[in-house]
Amino acid sequence: MMMMMNPDGASSSGSGKDGASHSSSSAPKKNSKKPIYSRFSQQELPACKPILTPGWVISTFLAVGILFIPIGLASLFASERVVEIMERYDHDCIPSNYTKNLLGYIQSTETNKTCVKKFTVPKQMKSPVFIYYQLDNFYQNHRRYVKSRSDKQLRSKAFEDKTESCKPEDTTNKSPIVPCGLIAWSLFNDTYRFSVKDSELNVTKKDIAWKSDQEHKFGSDVYPKNFQSSGLIGGAKLNASIPLSQQEDLIVWMRTAALPTFRKLYGKIEVDLEADDEVTVVIENNYNTYSFGGKKRLVLSTTSWIGGKNDFLGIAYITVGGICLFLAIAFILLYVINPRPLGDPSYLSWNKNPAGQMK
Amino acid sequence: MAISPNGETSERERERGERRHRTEYGGRGRKKKMNNPVIKLCACSTMKRYVYIKDDESSHDLYCANRISNTKYNVLNFLPKNLWEQFSRFMNQYFLLIACLQLWSLITPVNPASTWGPLIFIFAVSATKEAWDDYHRYLSDRKANEKEVWVVRQGIKTHIQAQDIRLGNIVWLRENDEVPCDLVLIGTSDPQGVCYVETAALDGETDLKTRVIPSACMGIDLELLHKIKASFFAESSVGSPSSISVVVLFFFSTPMQGVIECPVPDKDIRRFNANLRLFPPFIDNDLCPLTIKNTILQSCYLRNTEWACGVAVYTGKFLYSCCQGHIAKWNETKLGMSRGIPEPKLTAVDAMIDKLTGAIFVFQIVVVMVLGVAGNVWKDTEARKQWYVQYPEDGPWYELLVIPLRFELLCSIMIPISIKVSLDLVKGLYAKFIEWDNKMIDHETSTPAHATNTAISEDLGQVEYILTDKTGTLTENRMIFRRCCINGIFYGNETGDALKDARLLNAVASGSPNVIRFLTVMAICNTVIPVQSKSGNIVYKAQSQDEDALVHAAAQLHMVFFNKSGNILEIKFNASIIRYEVLEILEFTSDRKRMSVVVKDCQNGKIILLSKGADEAILPYAAAGQQTRTFIEAVEQYAQLGLRTLCLAWCELEEDEYQEWSLMFKEASSTLVDREWRLAEVCQRLEHDLEILGVTAIEDRLQDGVPETIETLRKAGINFWMLTGDKQNTAIQIALSCNFVSPEPKGQLLLIDGKTEDEVRRSLERVLLTMKTTTSEPKDVAFVVDGWALEIALKHYRITFIELAILSRTAICCRVTPSQKAQLVEILKSCDYRTLAIGDGGNDVRMIQQADIGVGISGREGLQAARAADYSIGKFRFLKRLILVHGRYSYNRTAFLSQYSFYKSLVICFIQIFFSFISGVSGTSLFNSVSLMAYNVFYTSVPVLVSVLDKDLSEETVMQHPQILFYCQAGRLLNPSTFAGWFGRSLFHAIVVFVISIHAYAYEKSEMEEVSLVALSGCIWLQAFVMTLETNSFTILQHLAIWGNLIAFYIINWIFSAIPASGMYTIMFRLCRQPSYWITVFLIVAAGMGPILSLKFFRYTYRPSKINILQQAERLGGPILSLGNIEPQARSVEKEVSPMSITQPKNRNPVFEPLLSDSPNATRRSFGAGTPFDFFQSQSRLSSSSYSRNCKDN
Repeated sequence: MMMMMNPDGASSSGSGKDGASHSSSSAPKKNSKKPIYSRFSQQELPACKPILTPGWVISTFLAVGILFIPIGLASLFASERVVEIMERYDHDCIPSNYTKNLLGYIQSTETNKTCVKKFTVPKQMKSPVFIYYQLDNFYQNHRRYVKSRSDKQLRSKAFEDKTESCKPEDTTNKSPIVPCGLIAWSLFNDTYRFSVKDSELNVTKKDIAWKSDQEHKFGSDVYPKNFQSSGLIGGAKLNASIPLSQQEDLIVWMRTAALPTFRKLYGKIEVDLEADDEVTVVIENNYNTYSFGGKKRLVLSTTSWIGGKNDFLGIAYITVGGICLFLAIAFILLYVINPRPLGDPSYLSWNKNPAGQMK
Repeated sequence: MAISPNGETSERERERGERRHRTEYGGRGRKKKMNNPVIKLCACSTMKRYVYIKDDESSHDLYCANRISNTKYNVLNFLPKNLWEQFSRFMNQYFLLIACLQLWSLITPVNPASTWGPLIFIFAVSATKEAWDDYHRYLSDRKANEKEVWVVRQGIKTHIQAQDIRLGNIVWLRENDEVPCDLVLIGTSDPQGVCYVETAALDGETDLKTRVIPSACMGIDLELLHKIKASFFAESSVGSPSSISVVVLFFFSTPMQGVIECPVPDKDIRRFNANLRLFPPFIDNDLCPLTIKNTILQSCYLRNTEWACGVAVYTGKFLYSCCQGHIAKWNETKLGMSRGIPEPKLTAVDAMIDKLTGAIFVFQIVVVMVLGVAGNVWKDTEARKQWYVQYPEDGPWYELLVIPLRFELLCSIMIPISIKVSLDLVKGLYAKFIEWDNKMIDHETSTPAHATNTAISEDLGQVEYILTDKTGTLTENRMIFRRCCINGIFYGNETGDALKDARLLNAVASGSPNVIRFLTVMAICNTVIPVQSKSGNIVYKAQSQDEDALVHAAAQLHMVFFNKSGNILEIKFNASIIRYEVLEILEFTSDRKRMSVVVKDCQNGKIILLSKGADEAILPYAAAGQQTRTFIEAVEQYAQLGLRTLCLAWCELEEDEYQEWSLMFKEASSTLVDREWRLAEVCQRLEHDLEILGVTAIEDRLQDGVPETIETLRKAGINFWMLTGDKQNTAIQIALSCNFVSPEPKGQLLLIDGKTEDEVRRSLERVLLTMKTTTSEPKDVAFVVDGWALEIALKHYRITFIELAILSRTAICCRVTPSQKAQLVEILKSCDYRTLAIGDGGNDVRMIQQADIGVGISGREGLQAARAADYSIGKFRFLKRLILVHGRYSYNRTAFLSQYSFYKSLVICFIQIFFSFISGVSGTSLFNSVSLMAYNVFYTSVPVLVSVLDKDLSEETVMQHPQILFYCQAGRLLNPSTFAGWFGRSLFHAIVVFVISIHAYAYEKSEMEEVSLVALSGCIWLQAFVMTLETNSFTILQHLAIWGNLIAFYIINWIFSAIPASGMYTIMFRLCRQPSYWITVFLIVAAGMGPILSLKFFRYTYRPSKINILQQAERLGGPILSLGNIEPQARSVEKEVSPMSITQPKNRNPVFEPLLSDSPNATRRSFGAGTPFDFFQSQSRLSSSSYSRNCKDN
């Protein structure tokens, strides 16, 4: 309001007829408010205004279709080239007298957990052959589970006491558990030994975890402490003399899975497996998946540029590509059968039908 | 409650307050009888205060100082007060609740920082803005407060700061000084006691106003003024008798004392009804009435006067914490009071967004409840078996609540926290675009458009009714005297300009007495002040443009009004100088519709009453026997031409008749209650038996581009109502010439009139019936109503009138008062129409404030309307651009931005919900805190902000096809069904992203962080393509925002991946190296966008909306000019008006019959195939109830 006051205004303003003098008096004070011309302020920035012409849309769909189908085929081909052997053993490894009492079997310390399975290699498997264990219906992503860890404690000895987030596996007798939390506590503890033609296959358990985890997430000065020492025993025990950064099974396990069905790397076989080789695997079936009906599988797999055996991407690509091609053809046909000029003003309802209605 | 400084308790004071005051007052007044009007008044009037003229400064600081404070906060209360204000909004309360819940680590899915961060940021932004504004208010206050002024202190003139002025102080001003507070004049340098002030800051009027000192102070000599020593006393007594306020008196023995009795502060800058009494030794210690003429108000400037002094009556901050909570009002001056706090206006879009937010909130609650139940069931059936989860057998009592609360937190992002900030930001930018617009600068006065209210631009695009003032809005308000009729002779009919009519010039030269009298009235019956400039020219300072035109015309006819000194007017006629003494001025009010002056001819001592006014205010008072027929004819004829008419009259008064009347007038003008009404009554007694001298006709030209603007906006489906105080015929003519109504046969004008209830009712019903029968034809039906009939209709037949208002696209309301204007706006608003009121004068202010959007024209009648308005523009024609360009773009952009904000929040939220089904319904968040926060406030907010530059159609196309505004008016771009479309899209995209990510990253790849980042990348890529698809025009900024944002996403994630401590360490590097990541992302894009693209394309080509067709036409360079535009734009107005027959005055047609016969205008309007009145009318008006405004665009 204050800025409207113009001490000079009175001298020249006045007579109504004399419009020029009026405007000249107000001109200097208002000039300051006059907007500066710029293309941005005038909303006149040069713009490209594409519209959805049939040409553009059809060629986009064609291009996507043509691009996607080969990629899909390549992915599918890569996935098909991966040799994968999957053996479910949770059920087979139960002695026949325990089939009615699965929990009793797995929770008992008395029972013999060793179990032998044999399978044949269908195709030649080039080294390295990756050994995974696959768990089904195991919710590593459960909120209670996934939060129950202490990254700080894992990283350095200084934060050994940082166990608040680890409940209920945080302390035992007021002394912190290292590594604490449900995830570590439930570490998978089945073991596998492989032999081909009676000769033991060497399973490398080195370098199965991420290098970055070993170097930065798990401390080389952090040693297991009070782990699985009291109360309920969850899963595997850890060698207290090896620092966490070397406990690769643990590191792999601690990378929680997002899905209830997941595989984790158990080890690698560094020799080729020939086709029709009969592989014997001796399984220590320790891990309890019986209480919640989870399945356990042993997976041997090679790898390709796209990863393990997973047909999803290939099939999805081919489907999407196919649909795109189909749409492109459909739009071309539609265009041929029912051509419609774009931007015909006669379609504007106020021209078409003066008294009519807007659709 | 006041504590009196003299130690008496206020309790006692209050008990005795009034009695004591009376006695004191009476005592001071001494020889006053008990029926002294003051005492009577003080007993009965409830809202007033007394100001005692004083000059002390010390101990009474408690009461009132002139410190102005417009600030809202101070350093101490800023934080709590601001936070309190912010948290009084529902959205903020919701976010705060969510943020607080997140502090409970048992239920929070993510780091609390992900909500607190944005929340604090948003709060900080608005708090900073508030603080900044407040600081500037403080600075401007301080500047005003520390200004030096001269004040009488202890009998000596002292230089003090403006903030130290006390109530009752005498303030001295010199020429060109700014007035520091509201003063009552008591002395000026002018011997006649006149001073001139410029009130531009107050009402925007740049002409000088005269202010006079009260008659009682007349002749106080200068010496005495200097020595004034008086006492101060203030009282603010309020309403109920129980709360009679404290009386504090300080009396000193002083040479000059006085008291001013004035009402409690109000905001009316045109009214000040007070009384002044000087105490002895002044002889003239009668009660002296004070009016606004005796005051100079804060922030005016003193001009053309060497000095003036006055008593401060209303000051700035009043620290007088008296009864009834009068605690520290901000500013008690008229200016301060009239500022007021504008009520925040809510746009239709805001209301829709609120509604949608509410719907989403309900949806969220439902989801939370369903998931909460599912989660608890799953927990009790499945999770107990999952030994590795170690669910305790017995949880705490609140255990059942934990899972639903977790989901509440997980779903809280459904309501985007960023939408408020984004909207505020873009709304500010819309307003800036309006202010920056070069095409809306009035080059004549270099006035750019101004947006006072930055928050309602979208509403401009949804306007359905425009209520416009006539004078100054449609017309230029530049009055030119064109014709006149003196004594039955029409001058100026042939030439079109009476000043060039030889007959008139001859009559003047020959000294025809009628003509001379006519000219005398023209020259002196006014409040114009002639100012002799240095070059010798006479410049007139006139408050009304009409008076200005008349005085100028008189001057050109050799009757030159050249000097006014005090009450003496000097007129130069040919060579002789005639002097008149002004005895009284009977002022113009909109009720009286006339003004008169009583002058005494100094030559012969005759007392004459000169009157001018509207015909119906003058002609009925003609002396008996005088023929008024020719005058009525003249008035009608001129009105047909759209000219403004005034009737001039005079009569000679007898000396004693005048004296007798003068007493009554004095008494009436000193009343405090109903002064206007009583004055009008008294004036009436004098204004009769007039001798009608003639009729003047003043032309007020239409502004440039008015017909085109109205035509374009009507094509856009906007209905126009014209509300004017002018005559019916003038209004109809103006309406015709500016395309407001069409002449027969396309248009039909129906008249509602009647003087009694019954007449009005019948007329109303018949018009309604006609309306109903004719709305099926494409005919332009309008009704005309005058103020009187409107008053009755609004009072007794409101329902019928509302029905009529809904049916009628056009209406002309003439002779309406400001409050009726506001009432009409209110009626249309109550029918749920978006109204825009446009006007230029003080009489439009109420209408402008009442309407959804007020537009002021910064015109010749001052800036009052422009101040009160949300937008001010220089000329009416800019309205077209304001609505069609700015309003439409704003609506489109906000519609997109708000829905997109919901869309992107819903996508991420749906993914979380889906994920909860594969994570044991436990409420795990797939995304980590950092990603969630960045997604909401950065990745998805920045690109969408650039949509403020999007233009679906070019400005030219919109101007050529204004019908396209219908999409905005009907809310077709933002309504529940379009929102459902976005909702469906977000669901679809969430499914695509989720399904593809969990399948592509299954088994050995199903690492949590990786899957989460794959899904997030999928979302970000989809957002970019959705933005691309929905953007209509790409400027460089759009490309930068959309693709730059995508790049920024990777850069940010790479940075996080490089920090060992972050959860994301190395993840992004790992992913970017995997071909399967890229393959997955492209798959998500193709699968997500393919269906949307094909659907959009199909619609675009085979079911195009009107917008699409115009886009195609515009961009393919097709035939943009459609049939509707072949109709040529209107030719210039003057050409159309002038050939109209004026020789045969039109009869007033009875109701029903068209008021307008075929006129040359008809030919113009009826050619061209497309009629301007099309589907909008028939559809939208006929069945407004059944017709859904939100019908979805097909």
